[in-house]
Amino acid sequence: MSWEGVIPSEEVIAATEELLKTAEKVGADTWQQRVRNQTPHCGFGESGTCCRICSMGPCRISKKAPRGICGCDVHGIVARNYLRFTAGGAATHSDHGRSIAHTLYKASPESDYKVKDEEKLLRIAKEWEIETEGRDIYDVAHDVALAGLNEYGKPFGTQRFLKRAPLLRQQIWESQDISPRAIDREVSQSMHMTHMGCSSDPEALVRQALRAGLSDGWGGSMMGTEFSDILFGTPRPVDTEANIGVMEEDMVNIIVHGHDPSLSEMIVFYANDPEMIALAKEQGAKGINIAGVCCTSNEVAMRHGIPMAGNFLAQENVVLTGACEAIVVDVQCIFPALGPLSKCFHTKFITTSHIAKIPDSEFIEFDEANAGENAKKILRLAIMNFKNRDPELVNIPKQKSKATVGYSVEAIKKCLDGVTNSHVDELGTMKPLVDAVKSGVIRGAVAMVGCNNPKIRPDSFHVDLMKRLLENDILVVVSGCSAQAAAKVGLMDKEAAKYCGEGLKRVCRLVDIPPVLHMGSCVDISRMMVLASDIAKDWGIEISEIPLVGCAPEWMSEKAVSIGNYVVATGIDTFLGVDPYTKGSEQVRGFLQSGIKDWVGANFIVNNDIDMLTTMMIEHIEEKREALGI
Amino acid sequence: MKKLFDRVLDGASEMMIRAERSIDEIEAKFGPDTPVQLPETAYNCAVNLAYKATRISKVSDLRDALEVIQDMIKRRQSTDAIFNAGIATAMSAELIEVCKYIETPTPYEGTKYHGHFSDAEVRELGVPLVTGDIPGFVVLIDEAPTDEQAAELIKGYQSRGIFVFLIGRIIDQAERMGINMGFPVRVVAVGQDIWTVSHIISFCDRAAMIFGAIEPGDWDGFQEYTFVRLRAFVNAFKPVRDMTVACGGGAIALGFPVITNDTENMWRVPKSLIIQENVDDFIETSLEARDIKIKVTNIDIPLAYSSAFEGEIVRKKDMQVDFDTSKVDGFELVRSRDLSEVEDHKIEVVGPDIDEVEVGSVMNLGVLVEVAGKGLQADFEPVFERKFHEFINKAEGIMHTGQRDIIRVRINKDAFEKGFRMKHYGEILYAKVKSEYEKVVDKCQVTIYTDAEKCKELRAAANEIYDKRDERLANLTDESVDKFYTCILCQAFSPSHVCIVTPERLGLCGAVSWLDAKATNELDPTGPCQIVTKEHPINENLGAYEDVNEAVREYSHGALEQVTLYSILEDPMTSCGCFECICGIEPMTSGFAIVNREHTGMTPLGMTFSEMASMTGGGVQTPGYMGHGKHFIASKKFLKAEGGSARIVWMPKALKEVVRTKLDKTAQELYGIENFTDMIADETVMNDPGDPGELMEYLAGVGHPVLEMEPLL
Repeated sequence: MSWEGVIPSEEVIAATEELLKTAEKVGADTWQQRVRNQTPHCGFGESGTCCRICSMGPCRISKKAPRGICGCDVHGIVARNYLRFTAGGAATHSDHGRSIAHTLYKASPESDYKVKDEEKLLRIAKEWEIETEGRDIYDVAHDVALAGLNEYGKPFGTQRFLKRAPLLRQQIWESQDISPRAIDREVSQSMHMTHMGCSSDPEALVRQALRAGLSDGWGGSMMGTEFSDILFGTPRPVDTEANIGVMEEDMVNIIVHGHDPSLSEMIVFYANDPEMIALAKEQGAKGINIAGVCCTSNEVAMRHGIPMAGNFLAQENVVLTGACEAIVVDVQCIFPALGPLSKCFHTKFITTSHIAKIPDSEFIEFDEANAGENAKKILRLAIMNFKNRDPELVNIPKQKSKATVGYSVEAIKKCLDGVTNSHVDELGTMKPLVDAVKSGVIRGAVAMVGCNNPKIRPDSFHVDLMKRLLENDILVVVSGCSAQAAAKVGLMDKEAAKYCGEGLKRVCRLVDIPPVLHMGSCVDISRMMVLASDIAKDWGIEISEIPLVGCAPEWMSEKAVSIGNYVVATGIDTFLGVDPYTKGSEQVRGFLQSGIKDWVGANFIVNNDIDMLTTMMIEHIEEKREALGI
Repeated sequence: MKKLFDRVLDGASEMMIRAERSIDEIEAKFGPDTPVQLPETAYNCAVNLAYKATRISKVSDLRDALEVIQDMIKRRQSTDAIFNAGIATAMSAELIEVCKYIETPTPYEGTKYHGHFSDAEVRELGVPLVTGDIPGFVVLIDEAPTDEQAAELIKGYQSRGIFVFLIGRIIDQAERMGINMGFPVRVVAVGQDIWTVSHIISFCDRAAMIFGAIEPGDWDGFQEYTFVRLRAFVNAFKPVRDMTVACGGGAIALGFPVITNDTENMWRVPKSLIIQENVDDFIETSLEARDIKIKVTNIDIPLAYSSAFEGEIVRKKDMQVDFDTSKVDGFELVRSRDLSEVEDHKIEVVGPDIDEVEVGSVMNLGVLVEVAGKGLQADFEPVFERKFHEFINKAEGIMHTGQRDIIRVRINKDAFEKGFRMKHYGEILYAKVKSEYEKVVDKCQVTIYTDAEKCKELRAAANEIYDKRDERLANLTDESVDKFYTCILCQAFSPSHVCIVTPERLGLCGAVSWLDAKATNELDPTGPCQIVTKEHPINENLGAYEDVNEAVREYSHGALEQVTLYSILEDPMTSCGCFECICGIEPMTSGFAIVNREHTGMTPLGMTFSEMASMTGGGVQTPGYMGHGKHFIASKKFLKAEGGSARIVWMPKALKEVVRTKLDKTAQELYGIENFTDMIADETVMNDPGDPGELMEYLAGVGHPVLEMEPLL
């Protein structure tokens, strides 16, 4: 029984091939073609040795020219590029968090945004020492949001959420001088340090990369996650479907894409409005089908079971089906290509944020004040567009898989409660998982995250890796586009447990979970940090001792590098399938792939051979077990 | 701390080495060709058979089996390796045990140990498992901290209906505490050594083969069956040795959690290996671990009350009083009344109570239970009445047999000492009738008569009612009703079997008549008994109906296409495995031999009950073989398509006595033959019951009607 119920890669490739034929027919440009146009990539850029921070250059480091005009050597240049890359990611995630904080600040019983998870709000208020006794819940929300917003620019102190980490980890951050201060400060300081004529010491630059990363993972991202839960509900297990086959031929298909749930939540809400459904029927459709792409998809899937049409590199595919009435986007990871591509079909490409303004799109600005109204406007546009479909071009590949998603830390604990014994165990802890790992039934866990990258056949690394881990009784928790990769082929179907090793199979069955746990979008990697912290606390060991590793096999964005930095700085070894433009400097590579272990107890491991990467991960987990004597 | 997986692997190796030693000794003593056969089973060495399809018939096969086991033990740190090693441990253990049975067929005779379980014992538990009367099994291994705790634990499980298997020193503890042990009371002292655990695993694996039709060698099939359907678990006392841990690995592989008070080198595994240091909390911890919920009916009596006490016998020397309607008058009767006529929970004793008579007295006992409720029908009266036997028997120290006005009840001295009196007898009936039939019984009152005059008078009145009911029953034929019922009560264990219950054909377990099924359907319209119409007959002689086939297809989830109600050769009805009797074709005489579960001897078919039973069961259709209830034998529909009961050529003597009156009447009506039962051969009229030639001679001698009938094949 070797994964026969899981969609094989050949079928995925064949379906994409079919869609590319449509692209050819309508003369559309696709990323596959653009990759060909861009290959080979610039060797200097790829190894991180090109510096264009000032206008004396650009300087490119080679044997013949070992230093830039200012005299900076290759290590300084590679490290500066690396830190800027990190800062870009930290800024992006954190600004997403800030936007959610704003929404929470404006939440009120009358507005479209309300407090949905009061319990979580009160918990955070307590954590942050904000008065709750006898107060209106919206007053508390207001204060919590304000305190959160202040985390971005407070003049003194470090991030409030750091206290969630085990004490030992907090001490490591302190002693290594990487406890993140105000979020904006870490980003600004990163830009400052990398400005012409500032830092060129790779150690200092790498250290700041870790700190900037931490300001994201334990600051902005964590705020994005927590405040989204307060506003839209903390995810709990919900059944859904994934892959392009979730688009419906006889319905109005609206794809939500991007990252910020504020928009998609409204679209999902008003798509259930009887007025909208009636309008869709009037237009000859059976109803309205909302499906997601990228992390917006993860957000609404986790909270409402909205089907997931695909991940990052599937964003053009949804348009190529010819059955997409509208693709509505918020921020991040949106191909500008969607503009011209949508023009080849009837598809409306609707942008909604000043942060992501893209040519050839219809811009309908979305904010807290006009959310409901504009959501309806967007829905109407899409519905009225149904009749404009060209039936000749409609081709929805039949692929789809069942998935159970929504495993927030709270949900995982609840599931684990199900296997406790009330006569000997306590509730609400990670201990059942810890016991399963200690006894050897589960060997360890891998947190798989990250994007797709055209350098790798989409999802192939994610899926191949996961299968091998699962066969070896290693639990996989996922977020972002990695999550969708798993869901699309069926790895989040509870039935998939039957393909796992006997230990994991039994655990999945008893706990009633799929073998790959969907923890959310890319900001939700902060959930994984809390998970690791809680495991360490319940186990009584340090995070870096847990048989747990991180992995981003197909990563591509700056956000992913920021994530990598905070995951490693939290004490979790992180395996990458794509190099973060550091090949040019032995010293920078030395720090990232070995030296920082002395600082934070973990480092990066980079290998673009997926089999080797997997073997290394499994060995790594076994070594950690050995060290613990388990 | 020694790793859990290393403990399992070491224990598995140790057990295997011991098995090898046993085989060496046996081979040296008996040679490689000596036959190997565990008694009264068609699934020899069931553990080895189940997981690896290893067929063992002679000593040299044991060595091959050992090789298979050796291959299963791999020193790898993975759960797969551990599950394999754990099951290999049970397989090795079975080889050690079977060697004892080569030495002598009854190695445990004269000891306090039970050893191997017969197939009949496995089958006997089918019904109580299905109905939840036995909510689970526990295996208690080694010595509890104190004798008192051992006794508490055993009694605690027993009182919750949990079937208790004991291994090792806890047996001595139980003995010291005077605990009554044996299969009928559901506390079985299996054996002294840890390898006797193989008898329990064998029991489970045979349940999977018998009820679940799982094929030998279907590794996943067995795991799934035991995990989902057998609510078993283990309690192991400290110090737990590696070999016991290895057995635990096997238990966990099967889905049975292990609960231990050992903390030394012990690892917690959620819902699988649980450390509970307080032995007094073992029961609750264990039941939760295996998700067993005990249905509690609070009965206000001073005695323990559980299905475990159903098989208990009260001997004359322990008896306080004896109610025996063969000597004095008595009866049991249920009457449905108007709501206004019944006072709920009124319990009245008319006549002397048991503390007013001499020890050992024979007393009158008349029991009148009056019920009222909106959904109640007079047809339910006998259904409730027939349950009295079970209701009363479950009380510790009370024995009940019979029904109507042929009853015998004994109350032992212990129960009397504990304060049991006749009002408690009423309490039991009140509580059970109200809780089991809560949907239809709104009010219930009980009157117990021990007054001789009253009993005499009411017995006569009761008999009039019985006669009326019998008349109605006699008129109740398959033709006179417009619907049959399914019974899929067994599907918890036998997922593809469906019984079709008709007035003239009760469920094969003997426990569900058409009236029972009707009542079940009305009490629980979405429950196991569903209406099957009979509007589209295909062949009425065969009892083939489109409606029946449709029902069978639906409720067997497509496993079965069609059945006939009256034929054994053409699409016979399937069996779950817990049938009372099995009949099979005897080709030489063109007749059928019937054997009941209790009979362990040979039949003219050259097979024992166990072997015949293994031909069918688990929802498998085997033309020529059919499981059925005892009372179906005297039905006019029995073997109807093949010519009826005149085809019966052989039955065990004891079974003949059970069915004689009714069977003679049927034969008289169908064929005009008097005393037909005497024409049927049994083990007492043949020197070799397995010799069909001798059977033929006997039949010719008595002029059995089958000899005049058309050959079947």
